[in-house]
Amino acid sequence: MQRLLAITWLTWKAAFRFRLFLVVAVLLLGAVVGLPLLIKDDGTARGFTQILVTYTLSAITALLGLSTLWLACGTLARDIEECQIQMVAVKPIGRWQIWLGKWLGIMSLNAALLALSGASVYGLLQWRATRLPANEQKILRKEVLVSRGSVLPKNVDKKIDAETDLKLKERLQKNPGIKADIAEARRQIREGIKAEYQIAPSGWPHEWKIDLGLAKHSLHGQPLYLRVKFNAAEKSASGTYQGIWGIGVPRKTPLWRSEEMSLAPDTFHEFEIPPIFDDTGVLTITFVNLNNTALLFPLEDGLEVLYPEGGFALNFVRGLGIIFCWMALLAALGLASASFLSFPVAAFLSLGVLTLALSSGTLSNAVSEGTLMGYNEETGRTGHSVLDIVAIPVFRAVLQLINLAKDFSPIDSLSTGRCITWTQLALAFSQIVLLLGGTISLFGIVVFTRRELATAQGNQ
Amino acid sequence: MSSRLKKFLLLLLAVVLLGGVSFVQKSLNRDRDKLGLTRVQHLENAPPVLAFTTLALGGFRGLISNALWMRASDLQDEDKFFEMAQLADWITKLEPHFVQVWLVQAWNMAYNISIKFKDFPDRWRWVKHGIELLRDDGLRYNPNETLIYRELAWFFQHKIGENLDDANMYYKAEWAREMHEIFGRKKPNLEELIHPQTADQTNRARLLVEQYKMDPTFMKAVDERYGPLEWRLPEAHAIYWAAQGLKRAEEHPTKMVKDDLITLRRIIYQSMQLSFHRGRLVSLPFTKAFEFGPNLDIIPKVSAAYEQAAQDEESNRDHILRAHRNFLRTAIYFLYEYNRIADAAHWYKYLCTKYPDKTLIDGKGNSLPANLTLFQYVMAQIGVDINETSRDRVQAALEGMFRNAYESLIMEEEDHFAGYKAMARQIWDTYQSKIPKEGLGRVGLRPLDDIDREMLNRFLDPEGGVPFEARAMLRTRLGMPAETIAPPPTTNAPPVKISSS
Repeated sequence: MQRLLAITWLTWKAAFRFRLFLVVAVLLLGAVVGLPLLIKDDGTARGFTQILVTYTLSAITALLGLSTLWLACGTLARDIEECQIQMVAVKPIGRWQIWLGKWLGIMSLNAALLALSGASVYGLLQWRATRLPANEQKILRKEVLVSRGSVLPKNVDKKIDAETDLKLKERLQKNPGIKADIAEARRQIREGIKAEYQIAPSGWPHEWKIDLGLAKHSLHGQPLYLRVKFNAAEKSASGTYQGIWGIGVPRKTPLWRSEEMSLAPDTFHEFEIPPIFDDTGVLTITFVNLNNTALLFPLEDGLEVLYPEGGFALNFVRGLGIIFCWMALLAALGLASASFLSFPVAAFLSLGVLTLALSSGTLSNAVSEGTLMGYNEETGRTGHSVLDIVAIPVFRAVLQLINLAKDFSPIDSLSTGRCITWTQLALAFSQIVLLLGGTISLFGIVVFTRRELATAQGNQ
Repeated sequence: MSSRLKKFLLLLLAVVLLGGVSFVQKSLNRDRDKLGLTRVQHLENAPPVLAFTTLALGGFRGLISNALWMRASDLQDEDKFFEMAQLADWITKLEPHFVQVWLVQAWNMAYNISIKFKDFPDRWRWVKHGIELLRDDGLRYNPNETLIYRELAWFFQHKIGENLDDANMYYKAEWAREMHEIFGRKKPNLEELIHPQTADQTNRARLLVEQYKMDPTFMKAVDERYGPLEWRLPEAHAIYWAAQGLKRAEEHPTKMVKDDLITLRRIIYQSMQLSFHRGRLVSLPFTKAFEFGPNLDIIPKVSAAYEQAAQDEESNRDHILRAHRNFLRTAIYFLYEYNRIADAAHWYKYLCTKYPDKTLIDGKGNSLPANLTLFQYVMAQIGVDINETSRDRVQAALEGMFRNAYESLIMEEEDHFAGYKAMARQIWDTYQSKIPKEGLGRVGLRPLDDIDREMLNRFLDPEGGVPFEARAMLRTRLGMPAETIAPPPTTNAPPVKISSS
C-alpha cells in the first residue's frame, strides 16, 4: 500500500508541478461562476435552476473528463518517453503498482476537484434559491431541489400476451386450416389488446391503479406529482385536448377532481395531485376524456407518479458519484493507451474512443434500422448491404458496451428533481468502474508490465 | 531619420488611416449594399462581442449553428424547454442575417413550445419569447427585413388575436394589462406619450420605446390612417408592425419583394376587419375581466382598406371583394343593432350600389338589393344569427338585443323589452348548444346574465350612459334603488327628450 501511495503522491506532485491542478480548478470555478452570468433561461426560477444545474454540471464533466484523459495519457507516456519511469521501475515496486498508483493519483485529484466544484454548484444553487420570492422558492423546493422517486402502473405485458394467445387460439379454432402469417396475425391481435389498455375513449373515463408499495407509509400529507403523456389520432383546431383528472375511489377514499385541463399531445405534463390512496397503498387515478376523439396513453411512459423520497443534498452527492465513476473509466482509458503508445498517439486514441462513445446515435440508428444503408423516408424502404451481416452485430455489441457507461444520466435526474438511488450508484460503480474500467485497467497493466521501457526513450 | 522617429511616424500614420477608414466606413457599407457588391451584409446595431464573434468564426458559424439547432431539436423532442431560449439566442446570433432562422425560432417558441404547457401563464411566457426574439433582436440586426415585420404582425393578429389557442383570452388579457400600464391605466392617449409633460408620462413613453420598441408618433400616424384603434388589443399592434414593414419597404425599394408587401397589406385589412368586429374593450367591474364590443367608428376605413387591397392584389381581387361585401353586410347589421339607423342606411345604400347583382342573404336567391329594404334585410339577418357560429358576431348580436331591450323599457315599450330579451336568450342557447363541450372554454359565451348586467351597467353609468332622467326611469321600471350621486344642476336646461330614432 505504501508503494501505491508513493506513486499517488508523485502523481499529485506532477499535477502541481505542471500547474494542472491550479488551471483546472480555476476553469471549473470560472465555469460555475461565469455560466450563470452568460446563459439565458426561460424566465422562470425553475427553468433557471434547471439550466444552471445542467450547464454547470455538464461543463464540470467535460472539463474534468478532458483533463483526466490528458493527465492520464501524459503522466505515464511522458514518464516513459523522458526515461523517468526507469528510475521508478528499478525500485522494489511492481509495474502493476506503478500503474494503479498513477490511477489512484488521478482519481484522488479528480475527487478533490469534483468536491470543490460540486460544493460550489451546490452553494450557488442554495444561495440563488434563497434570493427568490417565497412562491418560487416553494416550487423549487418541491419540484427541482428535491429527490423524487417514481412509480409506474403495474406491467401488464404478461396479461396482454396471455390474452393474445387465447384470442389467437380461438381464431385458429374458428378457421381451421387457414393459410396466414401467424406471427403477423399474433402481432396485430396483440396491438389490438394493448390498445384497449392504453385508450381513453371519447367521453369516457380511463382508470389506472398504482401500487405505491412501501412508500405509502411516508407519503401521508406529502404532495404527489403525476407525469402524463398521450397521443391523439386526430388533430384538434387548438392543438390541445381537454380532460379532467380524478383521484380516489367513491365510498372508499376521499375524492379529488382537477379543473378542466388543456393539454398538448406527445408531450409530458407534470402536475401536483393530493396523496389520496387506500389502506393498501393503491392510488386510483381517473382521466375523463372530454374530446370527440380517443386519446392514447402509452403503457411505457403514458403515466408515472412521482413522490418525495429524500433531500437534494444526498441526491446531488450520488449524482457526483456517477460522474466520478465516469472519470475513473476515462483515467483507466488514458493510462491504458499510454501503456503502449506515445503521448500524442495515446491522447488521440483516447479522444477518438470518447468521441465514438459520445456519438453512438449513428450506431444506434443503424442497429434499430438493421442496416448501414439507412431508411428512405420518401419510399418507406430500408436499404440493405452485405456489410450489414458483420457490421450490425458488431455495432450492437459496441453499443451494449458503450451503454454500460452511458445508461446513467445524473445531470438530467438532478435538473428534473428525480431520485438517483443508491442502487443506481452501485450499479454505475459495478458497470463503469469494475466491469469496463477493470477490463481496460487489466489490459493496461498487462501491457505495461510486459513492455520494454528502455526502448521507448525519446530523442533526449 | 532615426529608427525611433520612423516607428513613431508609421504608428501615427496607422492611427490617422484607421480614423479615416472609420469615417468612410458608413458610406462604403451603403455603396456596397446599393451596388450589390457583396452577399454578406454588415451587421447593424450589433454589440461588440457579437460583431467580433460573427467575423472571427467566419464560415464555422454555420456549423456551430447547425450543431446548436440539432441540440435544440433533440431537447424539444425530449420536452426539455428550459434551454430553448438560450439556444435560440445563440443560433440567431450566429446567423444574424439569415431571416428564416429568426422566423423559425420565433415561430417555434410562440406556436410549438407554448402549447406544450398546460398552464396559461407558461404559455404566455413562450408567446412573448417569440415576439421578443423578433422585435428586440431580429429587427435590431435586420431593421429593413419586411418578413420579420410580417411575422411579428402575424403573431399579434393570429396567435394572440384569434381564438385558436385555448389560452387566447389569457393572452389578450395579459397584453391589455401591459398596455394598460403604458397608457397610465386610462383610455389610451398617444399625445401625452409623444409630448410627455410629467415624470410619469416620460417614464411611460420611455417604457413604450425601450421595452416595446414602439414609436408613439408613428402609432399616432397609424391611428389616424387606420383607426381609431384600441391600442390595448392585439389587432392594433398587428396593424402597427405591418405598417412599419410597409414604411421600411418604401424607404428601401431595392429590398422590396412584391409578395411581402401584399402580405403586409393583407394583415392590415384583416386586422382592421377584426378591429371592427371586436375592437372595443369593455371592462367588466364584476369579474375584473374584460369583453369586446364592435368598433363601429372604424367602418369607413375598413371598407376603404378592402377596396385598396382589391386594387393592389389583382390575382385575389374577387376573393377580396367577396370579403368586402360580407364585411359591409355585417357592418350594416351591427349599425342597426346599435341603433345607428342613419349610418346603417348609408352603408346599405353603398352596398346596394356597389354590389347590385349579389344576394344579401346567403342561400336566398331572391334577396337581391332591389328586392329588400334595410329593415327586411336586418330582420332576415337576425334569423341567420340564431344559426351563427361566430362568437364575435353572436356577442355583438346579444349586446344589440339588450341595448334595444333597455331602450324599449325606457320608452315604456315593455313588450319590446321582453321580446328582445327572449330573442337574446334564444340566440345564446342556440349558440352554446352548437359548441362542443371541449370548445366552450375557448369560444363559448360568458353567462347571458353577465352580458345583460354589463349592458345595463353601461346604460346606468353616470358618465358614459344615458341621461340622468333616462337612468332614473330605467331604475324605476327595473325596481332598482335611486342613484346615490345627485345629477349636475340643470338650471334653465330644456327637458331631456328621449327619441327612438
